[in-house]
Amino acid sequence: MKKLRLYYEEYNKGPFALLWKHFTQQHFAFFGFITLLLLLLLALLTPFLTPHDPYLQNSQLLLVPPSWQNSGLVSYPLGTDDLGRDLMSRLMLGTSYTFGLAILAVLGSLIVGVILGALSGMSKGVKSSVFNHLLDLALTIPSLLLAIVIVAVLGPGLLNTIWAIMLALLPQFVHGVRNAIQQQLKQDYVTAYRLDGASQRQLLLFVIFPNIWEQLVLMFTMALSTAVLDVAALGFLSIGAQSPTAEWGSMIADSLDSIYLAPWTVALPGLMIFITVLAVNLVGDGIRVAMKKRREN
Amino acid sequence: MMFHYLLRRLFLLGFVFVALTIFAFSLGYLFPGDVLGNFTGLRNISPAEEIVLRQQLGLDQSYWQQYIYFNQRILDGNWALSFSSQQNVLDEIINVMPATLELASYALLLSLIVGIPLGIIAAVRKDKWLDKLISGLALVGYSIPIFWWALLLIMVFSLTLGWLPTSGRLSVLYEIPTMSGFMLPDILLSQVPYREEALVDAIRHLLLPAVVLATYPTTVMIRFTRESMLDVLEQNYIKTARAKGLTRLQVLYTHGLRNALLPVTRQVGLQFSTLITLAMITEVIFSWPGIGSWLIDGIYQRNFPAIQGGLLVVSSLVIAVNMFTEILHTMLNPLARKF
Amino acid sequence: MKSSGPFTAVVLLSILSSACQPVLPTTRVHGLVYCAEGSPESFNPQLVTSGTTIDAISQHLYDRLLDINPDSGELIPGLAQSWQISDDGLTYRFQLRQDVEFHQTSYFSPTRTMNADDVQFTFGRLLSVQHPFHQTATEYPYFDSVEWQQLVAKLTVIGPYEIEFTLSKPDSSFLSTLATDFAAILSAEYGAQLISHNTLADLDQLPVGTGPFLYRHYQKDVLIRYYRHPKYWRQLPAMEQLVIDIVPDNTKRIAKLLTHECDVAPIPRLAELSLLSKRDDFVIDAQTSMNVGYWAFNTRTPPFDQVKVRQALSYAINKSNILQAVYFGQAEPANSLLPPTSWAYDKNLNIQRYDPLLAKKLLAEAGYPEGFQMDIWAMPVQRLYNPNALKMAELIQADLAQIGVRAKIVSYEWNTFRRKLRLGEHDSVLIGWSADNADPDNFLRPLLSCAAAISGSNRANWCDENYDQLIAKAVHTPVLEERRAFYQQAQQYQAEQMPLVPIAHSKRFQVRSRNISGVRINPYGGINFTAAGKSL
Repeated sequence: MKKLRLYYEEYNKGPFALLWKHFTQQHFAFFGFITLLLLLLLALLTPFLTPHDPYLQNSQLLLVPPSWQNSGLVSYPLGTDDLGRDLMSRLMLGTSYTFGLAILAVLGSLIVGVILGALSGMSKGVKSSVFNHLLDLALTIPSLLLAIVIVAVLGPGLLNTIWAIMLALLPQFVHGVRNAIQQQLKQDYVTAYRLDGASQRQLLLFVIFPNIWEQLVLMFTMALSTAVLDVAALGFLSIGAQSPTAEWGSMIADSLDSIYLAPWTVALPGLMIFITVLAVNLVGDGIRVAMKKRREN
Repeated sequence: MMFHYLLRRLFLLGFVFVALTIFAFSLGYLFPGDVLGNFTGLRNISPAEEIVLRQQLGLDQSYWQQYIYFNQRILDGNWALSFSSQQNVLDEIINVMPATLELASYALLLSLIVGIPLGIIAAVRKDKWLDKLISGLALVGYSIPIFWWALLLIMVFSLTLGWLPTSGRLSVLYEIPTMSGFMLPDILLSQVPYREEALVDAIRHLLLPAVVLATYPTTVMIRFTRESMLDVLEQNYIKTARAKGLTRLQVLYTHGLRNALLPVTRQVGLQFSTLITLAMITEVIFSWPGIGSWLIDGIYQRNFPAIQGGLLVVSSLVIAVNMFTEILHTMLNPLARKF
Repeated sequence: MKSSGPFTAVVLLSILSSACQPVLPTTRVHGLVYCAEGSPESFNPQLVTSGTTIDAISQHLYDRLLDINPDSGELIPGLAQSWQISDDGLTYRFQLRQDVEFHQTSYFSPTRTMNADDVQFTFGRLLSVQHPFHQTATEYPYFDSVEWQQLVAKLTVIGPYEIEFTLSKPDSSFLSTLATDFAAILSAEYGAQLISHNTLADLDQLPVGTGPFLYRHYQKDVLIRYYRHPKYWRQLPAMEQLVIDIVPDNTKRIAKLLTHECDVAPIPRLAELSLLSKRDDFVIDAQTSMNVGYWAFNTRTPPFDQVKVRQALSYAINKSNILQAVYFGQAEPANSLLPPTSWAYDKNLNIQRYDPLLAKKLLAEAGYPEGFQMDIWAMPVQRLYNPNALKMAELIQADLAQIGVRAKIVSYEWNTFRRKLRLGEHDSVLIGWSADNADPDNFLRPLLSCAAAISGSNRANWCDENYDQLIAKAVHTPVLEERRAFYQQAQQYQAEQMPLVPIAHSKRFQVRSRNISGVRINPYGGINFTAAGKSL
C-alpha cells in the first residue's frame, strides 16, 4: 500500500532530515538520545559539577546510606562509600572515565578503521587478502584475552587497557568500512563519476563517504556499547582502572567488600553502566529502524 | 568444487595459525623480565643451566630459528612451566579447560533453546505487544554488564533466599574422581554411594553461572533470529506459499524456519569469541575453576608462560569453532556456496 | 546409565525440593567445611610461620609433646605424659605416651607406635646438619628466630619412651616453644621410607602425623581434604571428613557462610559482624588474640634510617581513624608490640599521639622540610591483624599528604609480595604478627631482633645491639619480675626508636553455623576441630 506522493509533501526532505524524523518518532530511541547527550555533557563538565571532591575521604561519614533512607544525609544524595567519599561525585566523575574514555577509544579505533578499511576497500589482490586474514585472526582473539596480553606487556592501567579495547574494536570497523565501500563501488553513480575522470581519492572523499557515514554512525554506536562494557569489566577485574580511580567498574570491585552492609555502593555504579549502555543501544537500534523505514518509503 | 573450497579454508586455517604462533612467540620477548624465563617458565636459573638452556632454545641463533624451535616445543607438548606452580602449562590448561567448555556449552545450549523460539515468536507477532516485550527484554539483557548481573543474581538467589550456592562446581564434601574433567558425566560415571546427591548438588552449582553466561548470547539469538525471520517472511517465495493457500504455521515451518535459521549457525561461531570473554568474567565471579579464572589469576601473578599458553589454546579454539561453523553454514546453505 | 527414568525423576525432585528448603543430604552431615583465607605454604609446621598455614594443618595433622590449655594458658601434657626440669634449668626430661598411632595413608603404612626415636627425628632435623632431612629445607623460621640451634646442646634418647633435652643456657621460654604448633612430632619410620625411595621432599608435602585427622588430598588454592584418623589416641573426632576450603576473597567467604557452603570461617573483616549477629542461624565466637598489626619502615634505606623521620611519620598518622575505618572499632590501639593482656606489657608507655605539626617539625629537623616520596607496601590479603591493608594504606596516604610526604601504594600477589619483601625492596610495609605462644619473647624477638632480620620475619630490617641485649637478658632470667623489667625497657626503647609503628591488636572472630558445636580457637595458634560436631 504505497502512499500517493505529491511534490509538496513532507517526504521530500533531505535524507538526513528524513532519518531524523523517523528517529524522533521512536520515543524510546529519542529518550536514549537525550540520555546520551546528558551523559556527554556530564562527562565534559564533571569537574565543575561535583558537589564534593570525589577523592576526599571523610572518616566521620563512612557508608552513609542514600538520602531516601532514614539515616541518609541530604548533602550526600547517594550516600558515601567505605572511605567516606561522596558516591554521587564519584559516579559523576566516573562518567568521564567509563563513558568518556570509551568514546575516545571508539573514535580512535574508528579513525584508524576508516583509513585501513578505505585502503583495503579500494585495493584488490594478494595484499588485501593477506590483510583481511590477519584481521580475521585479530577478530578471533577474545577482547578480554587481548587486554590480558597487553596488560602483561605494558602493565596494568586504564590507558593500557584503552589500547586493548581499541585494538579489539578495530577489525570490525575495518571489515564494516571495507564492505560498505565495496558495496558503493558497485553502484552505477560511482561508475559514472569514475568515467568522468574522478581520481580514487576524489571518489572516496566526495562520492563514497557522504553515502556511508550513516553506516559509520551505526557502527560507532554498536562499538560504543561494547567499549563501555569492556572498560567497566576490565576495571572490575582490576586489570584496567586501578583504585582509587572513580571508574564505574573498579568502583564496583572496590565496593564488593561492603556489598552486605552497603549494597548501594555496588548497585549504583552498575546501574550507571547499565543506563549508559542501554541508552547507546536504544540510539543504535533507533538509527537502524529509521534507516530501514526511510528505505521502505 | 567442495573439495577445492575445503582446501582453501584449510590453507587459511594454516595461515592464521602461523600468524598466531608468531604472535605468541614474540610475546616471549615483549613480556617484561628475562627472555629465557619467559620461554621456559623456570624461576631460578643457575649460570650453568642458563648456557644449556640458551642452546636448547636456540637463543644464540636467528629469530627465525628460535621460532622453529618454539613451534617444535609446542608440538611436542613441551610447553613452558607456570611461574606459580612450576607445572607444565599445557597440563594445567588441560586440567581447567573442561570446566570452561562445560559451562560454555550449557550456556550456549540454553541460549539456543530459549533464544530461537522467542526470536521466532517476536518475528511472527511483529509490532504486537508480545514482540515489544520480547525485544525490550532482549535489549535489556544485551545492555546489562555481566558482572553486575551476576552479583544481582547472587544477592537475590544465594544470599537473600539461600536457594543456590555461590561458587565452585560441587560441594567440597563430595569427592568425585576426575575422569573426563566434565563434572556431570564424571558424577554419572563414578561409583560413589552418593551419586544422586552429588548430581543434584552439581546442577545447583551450575544453574546461576549458566544463566548469567547465557544471558548475552540469548539476547543476541533473539535479536538475530527475529531479524532473519523478518527478512525471510518478506521474501516473495513466502508470499507465494501463502497465496497458494498454506496456513501460517505450514509456511513458517516448511519455508521460513530453515531459511531463517541458516544464518544463526554462522552467528554461533561469530559469538563464540564474545562467549569466551564473558565466560572468563563469569568464572571469576563464581570461582568456577576454568581457564578464565586461571588466566585472570595468571595476570594477577604476572605468570607470563600461562598467559602465552592460554592465548595459544583459547585463540586456537575460537578459530577452530569459527571455521567449523562457517563450513557448516556453507554446506547447509546453497546460496553461500560461491566456491 | 541403567535406570535413567526414575533416576532423573529423583534428581529433578530433589533439585526442586532443595531449592525450597535447604535440606542437608546425609554425606554432608558427617563432614565439616572450614573456609580458610589462604593456601598453606607447606604441610610441615617446622617450615612456616604464617597463621594461615598453622590453622590449616597443625592441630589437625599433628600432636605436640605439650599443649597449652586455651583457657588458662597453662602447659598440659600432650604426647609427653610427664616431664622433669633439672635444678640448673639446663636439662629437660620427657616421658612419652605408649599408645600413639601414626596415620595410615595411601603413601605410608606405619608398623609401630610413636616412640622416642620419632621425637629425636623431629627435633634432630632442626639441630644437626648431619640429619638426612636438615638440608631439604632452607630454613626453619620459627626455630631460627628463637635460636634453637644455639639453645639446644644435646638431644638424648634415654629409653624407648623417654628423651632428654640439654640446653646450653637456661631459657624460661623453652617449654612454651615445645608447646607451639611449630613443634609437631613427625614419624621417623616415614622418614626412613622416604630416604629409601629417595623422595625426601615429600616429608613436608605429604604429611604423616599422629593428629586427629589424616591427609587425603590437596589442591593449591582450592581445598585440603582430611579424613578422620581412626586410631587417634584421644577421643575420636566426631566428623568423618574435614575439608579446608580455600577462599582468599573475603566477600566470597562471607557469601559461602551465608549459603551454608562453609560451616566455620574466620572473619578478619569485622564489618560483617553486625550483619551476621542479626541472623539467628550463626554464632560468632570472639577470642582475645595475641597479635599486632604494624607499619614497618625499612630502616636500611634512607631516609628511614633516621630516627626523626620515623618518629615524624608515626606522629603523622591518625590511628583512631584507622581503627574505625579498617577494624570497625573491634580492635585496641597498639602502643607496643605486646598486647595489653600480656604480663610483660608496659602500662607506662606513652600513648601515640596524632600530631601533624610535630611531625612536620621533626621532618624539617631531619632535613626534609619539603617532605619526600615513599612507597607504602600493602599486603594483598586479609589477616586478623590487618583486615584490609589497602584501605589502611589509602588512609595513611591521605594523612602523609598533610605533612608533604607523597606516598605511593604498592601491592603484589601474596607470594610475590613476600618474596620482594624479603629482598628488602620496600620503603615501608603494612603487615602484622600473630603470636604462637603466650611468651612475650614471641613478639619481641621474631619481629625486631638482628637474627630475625636475617631469617626474614623482621620486616623493618632493624638490627640494634641495645635492643637485642635487652631481650637476651630477659630470657636468661628465671625471675619473673626481672624479666618484666627488661621487656619494659625493650618496649620503651622500641617506642623511642620507632622502627615500626604498632597500629592495632585485633580480636579474633570466627563465625560458625548454629548447628556446629565444639570448635575450639586457641589464642596462641591454630584452630582445632577434634571435638567438633554437626547436628541437623
